Amino acid sequence: MIGYFTNIYKVSAALLEGMWVTFKWMFRPSMTVQYPHEKLTPPERFRGTLVFDKDSCTACNLCVKACPTACITLEPYVDPATNKRLAKINWYQIDFGKCNYCRLCEEACPTKPVKSVRHSHGYEWAMTDRKEMNVKWVRP
Amino acid sequence: MTTEVIKIKGADLQTEEMILNLGPQHPSTHGVLRVILKLDGEVIIAAEPEVGYLHRGTEKLAENRTYPQMLVISDRWDYLSAMSNNLVWCLAVEKLLQIKPPEKADHLRVIMVELNRIASHLVFFGTYGIDIGAYTPFLHAFREREKILDLFEEVSGARMTYNYIRIGGVMADLPADWVGKCRSFLEWMKDRFPEYDTLLTGNPIFQDRTKGIGVLSQAQAITYGVTGPNLRGSGINFDLRKDEPYCSYEKFKFDVPTGANGDCWDRYWVRIQEMKESVKIVEQALDGLPAGETNAKVPRILRPPMGETYAQIEAPRGSLGIYTISDANDKPYRVHVRAPSFINLTMLQEILVGQKVSDVVATLGSIDIVLGEVDR
Ligand code: SF4
Ligand code: SF4
Repeated sequence: MIGYFTNIYKVSAALLEGMWVTFKWMFRPSMTVQYPHEKLTPPERFRGTLVFDKDSCTACNLCVKACPTACITLEPYVDPATNKRLAKINWYQIDFGKCNYCRLCEEACPTKPVKSVRHSHGYEWAMTDRKEMNVKWVRP
Repeated sequence: MTTEVIKIKGADLQTEEMILNLGPQHPSTHGVLRVILKLDGEVIIAAEPEVGYLHRGTEKLAENRTYPQMLVISDRWDYLSAMSNNLVWCLAVEKLLQIKPPEKADHLRVIMVELNRIASHLVFFGTYGIDIGAYTPFLHAFREREKILDLFEEVSGARMTYNYIRIGGVMADLPADWVGKCRSFLEWMKDRFPEYDTLLTGNPIFQDRTKGIGVLSQAQAITYGVTGPNLRGSGINFDLRKDEPYCSYEKFKFDVPTGANGDCWDRYWVRIQEMKESVKIVEQALDGLPAGETNAKVPRILRPPMGETYAQIEAPRGSLGIYTISDANDKPYRVHVRAPSFINLTMLQEILVGQKVSDVVATLGSIDIVLGEVDR
């Protein structure tokens, strides 16, 4: 019988101690960021959506080879007069449905000083259809 | 039949064993795990974990990926401790290529892996509380985990799939003022442990629900090949960081906490102590952070010589191993992952027998599985 009551006492004491920890935190500043209204700035190295610079790309295919999920496709520009392949692209396409946001393509890209394909800080990136995930850059 | 007829015929005296499915959609299986329980009333007489719902065939995918590309896939095994996965893959490939990463890379790797261990055990701490019925610890644990993820985000650019530890070193050096931020996090973390003890560890209800439940004896643990905190909870002092040091772990002073009885409580307690040890290791690694290069010289296209290798590390869930065969190509010929969660899960069929249904979730939670790693 005594054991029964000591048990009740012990449990209630432990619960109150636990509540005290919670209570102390109640009056500290909130940790939550109210997302759509407040936004955090991503750090420098943040791997957000990929951006592509269609004019500096040399169509060297290194990013295509580096990508682990084969989500990059490109077509080099062929000069219609001489029928020669030039160091330019016709179009460049990334399938964001497959992309891992892993930066391997950016690391492989040889263009300097700015990489042709690189991660931006963008993270609000929603599509309603899978076809929209195929983003294509076309050089006129 | 009406009730009277049943009584007259004595049909109510016939008892049958019942099959109960726990999962695959159950909030406390921590993913898509199905456990087929055979019940005699409320007592479990057989349990069979069924896995494979999250199978992505990464071992096969590896045969079609170059060595650096496979790192991206390794992030997705145990997604709560992706740094460990990165590390073990790099160690395996470095063994094949016979590359030795510079000292600084070793330190950075240790820092990242140990921070990741804290983050991973925090998830365990939080979700185990929920499994038992305490919601508050979860919020506390995730607050701290968020801080670790912020640190990782600064260093690698991602919050879960880091791809930071690379073959021959790491992705990049630490950003400026990262060390300061990490130190202030460690100070913050040290003050949180007493709070955790008040919230959950010292709670008599929690102790009643976990002590003496799901006992795994030492013999069983060894027979099943259980590793990690689950093995140490049974009182066996085995930790690859001590017994087979990699990444200069031999330089750091830390204890390996072990339990006594191998019950849920011991497995829980070992993890809480391990977080404290990890804080110590990170502090030492930051103190002794050498200057210099973060990357060894690695050829641009990796073609390891013909051969096979096995590398293993102490991941948060046990010893994580990679067995890989190279046929002198730029893609591995075969990769096998020794996933600790998968092997630890097998002990469930043993320790659940004889328990009550209400203890199943407590037992399952204490094994701390990640289904991404179980199914790979
Ligand atoms: S980020 Fe990774 S997955 Fe995405 S396009 Fe680049 S290499 Fe491919
Ligand atoms: S984006 Fe860079 S790596 Fe890819 S084809 Fe263009 S120049 Fe080469």
